[in-house]
Amino acid sequence: MATDDLATQLAPRAGANILAVEPFQGLTARVRFRPEGALDVFRAVHDDLGYDHLSMVGAIDWVDHREVFYIVWSDVTKQYLGLSADLTGDAPHIESATPVWPSANWHEREAWELVGVAFDHHPDMRHLLMPDDYAFHPLLRSFKLHEPEELEVKSRSV
Amino acid sequence: MSSPAPAVASPVPPKSAAPLLETEIPLVNGPAVPYVEIETLRAREFIPQAKEALSSLLREQMEGKLLRPVFNWAGRNSLFPLHWGLACCAIEFAAAFGARWDAERFGVVPRSSPRQCDLLIVNGTVTWKVAHKLITLYEQMPEPKWVIAMGNCATGGGPFRTAYSVVPGVDKLVPVDIYIAGCPPRPEALLDGILQLEELIRRRGE
Ligand code: SF4
Repeated sequence: MATDDLATQLAPRAGANILAVEPFQGLTARVRFRPEGALDVFRAVHDDLGYDHLSMVGAIDWVDHREVFYIVWSDVTKQYLGLSADLTGDAPHIESATPVWPSANWHEREAWELVGVAFDHHPDMRHLLMPDDYAFHPLLRSFKLHEPEELEVKSRSV
Repeated sequence: MSSPAPAVASPVPPKSAAPLLETEIPLVNGPAVPYVEIETLRAREFIPQAKEALSSLLREQMEGKLLRPVFNWAGRNSLFPLHWGLACCAIEFAAAFGARWDAERFGVVPRSSPRQCDLLIVNGTVTWKVAHKLITLYEQMPEPKWVIAMGNCATGGGPFRTAYSVVPGVDKLVPVDIYIAGCPPRPEALLDGILQLEELIRRRGE
């Protein structure tokens, strides 16, 4: 089984932080991991499994918690792998993946400004799509659509 | 023969050493100032006032009656819009300058630098992120300048009016002269908007 192989390959360096390796449609597998050990998991996936390219980072607001997911690509096996972590609490945060995959930089900036997930030790955490003084995380489910005038007053930046 | 009365001191107070202010016209009982000096003071005030009044009158007359129509004629026949595409409306903007619609026959030539432009065509969705860049471009354009809001997005936010990132109407940022409706407006509509702007310029200063 591919998932079992992955689990055994990840075990030496990140075994304690792996919650599950499960099949996922369109991907080789999805690895669910503990957010506290994120950097170990990233290094194991990058060095031991050979997933050398980070395709995307995203975040989902599940109302009671938020999920961060990563899709990585291996140029050797030509396969995608999904990584995901559930973040709880009012100020969800996770270690930045930029030391392992530098391409995480802009993806994490976007995930932070739209869904409000903080990435610790990110080298350049600024707004990406929104004006610099934008005060909301607009893709949160708690974000209400404003009347244009109301939003204009709140988000004025010029 | 009585001796002449001793000279009585003049009741006029001694002349003050301080120079007379230009606005101070001496009173009858005031300090004795030679008549010529008073006239000089008055003239000194009057001449610049007269000059100012005459020249502004002339300038207004010259500009309003003689030069303004010439400037307006020249301006409206050589509108240089800024070559700045924002969103899907920019495709129609580009098509208007292609061979089929050929906006150049009205003297409309897109330029790449705002310093060479007198017309800003806002052709697309303006987000809050790009808003201050739009204002910078507008401020870099020399006077006199005009703004056309092309399409529903620039006019009032369009389909993204309630979005969290879109300016609901570019008239929140810069003064707009002509609004063109449509999503997107056809190139004919843009040409019509430009012709209406030319009419606006023709009547400028009347
Ligand atoms: S008005 Fe329509 S065509 Fe024009 S920029 Fe907006 S969405 Fe695009």
